[in-house]
Amino acid sequence: MKKRSKAQVRRDQIVGLVIFLSVWEIAARLLGNKLVLPSVSQILAALGDLIASGELITAMAESIWLLIVGLIVSTILGFVLGALVARSRTAYWMLNPYFSALFATPTIALVPLVLVWFGFGFPGRVIVVVLAAVVPIMFSVASGLRDDPKDLVDVARSFGVTGELQLLYRVRVRAALPVLLAGLRLAAGRGVVGMAVAETYLRLGGIGGLIKSYGSMFQTDYVFASILPLSLLGIAIVSVIGRIERRLHWT
Amino acid sequence: MKDSDVEVPAIQLRGVRKTFRLSEDRNAKTVLALDGIDLTIRKGEFLTIIGPSGCGKTTLLRIMASLEQHDEGEVIVEGEPVSEPGIRRAMVFQTFGLFPWKTVIDNVTFPLTVRKFPADEARNTAMKHIRRVGLERFVDAYPHQLSGGMQQRVGLARALSTGADILLMDEPFGAIDAQTRELMQEELLRIWDEERKTVIFITHDLDEAVLLADRVLLMSRGPGRVRELIDVDLPHPRFEYDVRGHENFAKVRGHIWQQLRNDLVQQREEEAS
Ligand SMILES: Nc1ncnc2c1ncn2[C@@H]1O[C@H](COP(=O)(O)OP(=O)(O)O)[C@@H](O)[C@H]1O
Ligand SMILES: [Mg+2]
Repeated sequence: MKKRSKAQVRRDQIVGLVIFLSVWEIAARLLGNKLVLPSVSQILAALGDLIASGELITAMAESIWLLIVGLIVSTILGFVLGALVARSRTAYWMLNPYFSALFATPTIALVPLVLVWFGFGFPGRVIVVVLAAVVPIMFSVASGLRDDPKDLVDVARSFGVTGELQLLYRVRVRAALPVLLAGLRLAAGRGVVGMAVAETYLRLGGIGGLIKSYGSMFQTDYVFASILPLSLLGIAIVSVIGRIERRLHWT
Repeated sequence: MKDSDVEVPAIQLRGVRKTFRLSEDRNAKTVLALDGIDLTIRKGEFLTIIGPSGCGKTTLLRIMASLEQHDEGEVIVEGEPVSEPGIRRAMVFQTFGLFPWKTVIDNVTFPLTVRKFPADEARNTAMKHIRRVGLERFVDAYPHQLSGGMQQRVGLARALSTGADILLMDEPFGAIDAQTRELMQEELLRIWDEERKTVIFITHDLDEAVLLADRVLLMSRGPGRVRELIDVDLPHPRFEYDVRGHENFAKVRGHIWQQLRNDLVQQREEEAS
């Protein structure tokens, strides 16, 4: 395939979106069943209503706060565990199976345990996000720090950098940054899922709560109107990290 | 020669020994890399080091740079025993050793930034040396955008901008194509002629060893020892005409090759049996 310019890609995407929405609108009107498939215009009306009532803003703020706190806790925990596992072979082989298992387990399966152990308050919801997001961060920290850039560490030492901590942040962490950010991007995507799970299955709240409650009232147009900002949130956070990655990457 | 009698040598090694352990394990196998090196390097001298691969050249240079600790003996730099890297010595690495995430200018200012020089002073010094190696058009480029020869020029500019008077170079042109290498040899000779820094230069290239050197240190294969120190009696400056045509060049080269060849042949026989 021939390489496309940015403008061409943008044009393709817009054309695709227009076709997609037109097909949807036509199909919805032909079907004429708002419960099964509300039309695009009905969804937009519901969205306008959610915005006007302030419901959406409140829900988004709550969700974003949960996501941010969850990702910060995941990052801190992931760094500590990742550094530990990168330093010690014993720690690696002791902990690796559990983290692989956690990575493979759907977060939703852990919700009942979180509920029993931590309750459905804010800490419990943060823990659900952490369970979803911590493993990719830990693995990326571990692999980023394990590929020791020996030559560059020598360069730094020869030009006067002293002390493990200085070498760590001037060389090792900096060299590992692309890997770390890739891990963070993956974690953010999973974190959004964790957030929605916490808000729908632990206790209703935020954007997840909105979807669940409108779903149980069979107001499908409002369900779609709530899913849209959730997807946009996921896309936004992942693309922000992707942008930082590209800026910090040197090739 | 009265002056040089009282002058402090650039580097003195006395009975330097180094053993490597092949793993962390306490009863792991060990390799004797350097077996009692005695060597005095004069200020302003251009010393090249040659020897069969694995004879301990890199180890010797890393010990002079204090990147590696020796087990026995003394390493004295400008009259002082050393154990930490210092600003009087600057290293040029075989694989260039540039930080891939830093631009040319940031790579060159790195040693000065680490040592807390004011930013504008660091930048001015760096720019001076970047210009000197002819890379002023590439100050904001990243290493991967440069050819090998250009990357090593950055490495050289970085070492020079530290103001060190001892340059430690480990096969600096080994990864550079032959024609560019000749150019860089010329440039290095020119810089050396202007500044008379002490240069210790490892190479596996016989021609290069003789072309650049005041003295050639020939090492014998593992465990590393000083096999012979050979004075190179060729006129300076050597960048203006090709001393390879000089009869002494052929003589010194031939002598070194004889010694080196013996070691290599023996090594091959031992490997075969
Ligand atoms: N970090 C190390 N650990 C173990 N052995 C090493 C290490 N560095 C060098 N050696 C060994 O020491 C000897 C000398 O190596 P080196 O100084 O790299 O030789 P040269 O640069 O002349 O090729 C070799 O036998 C090499 O295998
Ligand atoms: Mg070597």
